[in-house]
Amino acid sequence: MLFTPTFFRVEVTRQFRNPYTLVFTLGMPIAMYLLFGANAAYATASAGNGNVAFYVMASMATFGTATAMTSLCALAASEVGQGWGRQIALTPLSIAGYTVVKLAVALAFSAISTACVFLVGAVTGARADSPWHWLSVAGIVLAGGLVFGLFGLGAGLALNSDSASAFASIAITLFGFVGNVFMPLSGTMLTIAHFTPMYGYAALARWPITEGALVTAGTGPGGDDALWLVLLNVLAWALLFGALVRYGVLRSRRRR
Amino acid sequence: MDPNERPSRPPAPPAPALEITGVTRQFGTGDSLVRAVSGVDIVIERGEVVALLGPNGAGKTTLLDMVLGLSDPDEGSIRVLGESPRRAVAAGALSAVLQTGGLLADLTVLETVQVIASFHSALGRVPEVIERADLTGVERRKVSKCSGGEQQRVKFALALLPDPDVLVLDEPTAGMDVTARRRFWDAMRQDASAGRTIVFATHYLEEAEQFARRTVVMNHGRVVADGDTATLRASLGGRTLSARLPGAPTAPNTAALLDGLRADVATAELEVDGQRVRIRSANSDAVASQLLAAGATELEIAAPTLETAFTALTEA
Repeated sequence: MLFTPTFFRVEVTRQFRNPYTLVFTLGMPIAMYLLFGANAAYATASAGNGNVAFYVMASMATFGTATAMTSLCALAASEVGQGWGRQIALTPLSIAGYTVVKLAVALAFSAISTACVFLVGAVTGARADSPWHWLSVAGIVLAGGLVFGLFGLGAGLALNSDSASAFASIAITLFGFVGNVFMPLSGTMLTIAHFTPMYGYAALARWPITEGALVTAGTGPGGDDALWLVLLNVLAWALLFGALVRYGVLRSRRRR
Repeated sequence: MDPNERPSRPPAPPAPALEITGVTRQFGTGDSLVRAVSGVDIVIERGEVVALLGPNGAGKTTLLDMVLGLSDPDEGSIRVLGESPRRAVAAGALSAVLQTGGLLADLTVLETVQVIASFHSALGRVPEVIERADLTGVERRKVSKCSGGEQQRVKFALALLPDPDVLVLDEPTAGMDVTARRRFWDAMRQDASAGRTIVFATHYLEEAEQFARRTVVMNHGRVVADGDTATLRASLGGRTLSARLPGAPTAPNTAALLDGLRADVATAELEVDGQRVRIRSANSDAVASQLLAAGATELEIAAPTLETAFTALTEA
């Protein structure tokens, strides 16, 4: 058995009851967008194929999605490591079925988070040149979020405790700051940022607007990123997180 | 069966509920190698109610995990109703109440039961199972707000969902108070009389006595006794009495008393140390009254701990 609507429904309701999930995946991205995007003095300035408000909105959507994917996948993994996995092993549901439902829940939450940020963006002045820009950004946000699903899964398997999920979402906030997601970085910080996990993901999500151009805090041009560099960052971190999952699987197997 | 009496071939007898053959499971390697289960053979027929008794660390949970297909034996095989444990679980023929833990704290009782029911395609059985497990009235409560006994009942409800032929209970009453324990076993008794095969692990001798006709005793990963619970109880149930004799052991009255006690078939052991006597007997009440009637003082009666009883069984 792969999918049961009851399991999906209960899991979604359960996350809506979880204040932690609500604050980090829905509240924070919107608050950050309002703070750095909609209410910023440069909100209506151009960022390429859209305005700065849109640019910030896209960044915050990556943050919300990365947090949702990370925390929900970490939770899924640590639950299996604890007694709930044994309970599920006593039913016809396969581990693949469990993963499919949990991934669907994480994606659903990511989609809800992205939709909320976009909705707030649309009513507070985020503008892009065409509806296609909105759709392509949303698509990249959700697809790229899968990389952070790997991160959450790996963290949950390796730590195997209730704190895994909290740890992983705090890590995402940190990655956001050093990854040029919240505020435009410059100089050495920007150079370092290129190597951090959120950098490639956020840059890729903003690509339809910026086409690689960097937005800086100061005035004047901030330079350009090459597409291959951004993709390389995403790919490298996907591989690293994949290795973390592998380590986590081995570790949890040894514990048994 | 004599084939001459039956010209037509008789149908193959149904596979036993549980067939454990030469099962061994070890953890670790080298010096830290631990044989949790070592060469266990048990056959349980359909409809039997069997207690698996043993102290902590005897290998009960490791064995039951393999019976449920949660882990695999290193050696030997396990068949449940003639199939592999995982197939029996997938078919809903085998289910279990696991030891404490194993529920999601932030789900309600009803949500927990519904989720597991959906995996078994048994959503229709939810109301019935809630009632059977005595959970009516707490359905909307979060699992984290449930008492230990209520959480065990939730797990009991989950185990009932597939309507299994074989039910495995791993220390099902852990964390329950006396009343909850009695109610739990009352519910189980109904199930047993309905023909379900029940195997339960416990370290309470009373639970085995009251509920199982057959008891398998494990210690250090091995089966040290397997048989009728009543018989086993007699061998485990002796008590040790110790008392100060009314006079020196050689004094006529005292010597007669000691001779009488030695002759008693219920006496398993009798030791005299100075003026103190130590007696192990299956009939402790009678021995106590004899001792007191003869003027013995400072009488002490001790039930054997299971640990010592198991040690005796292993060494026998």
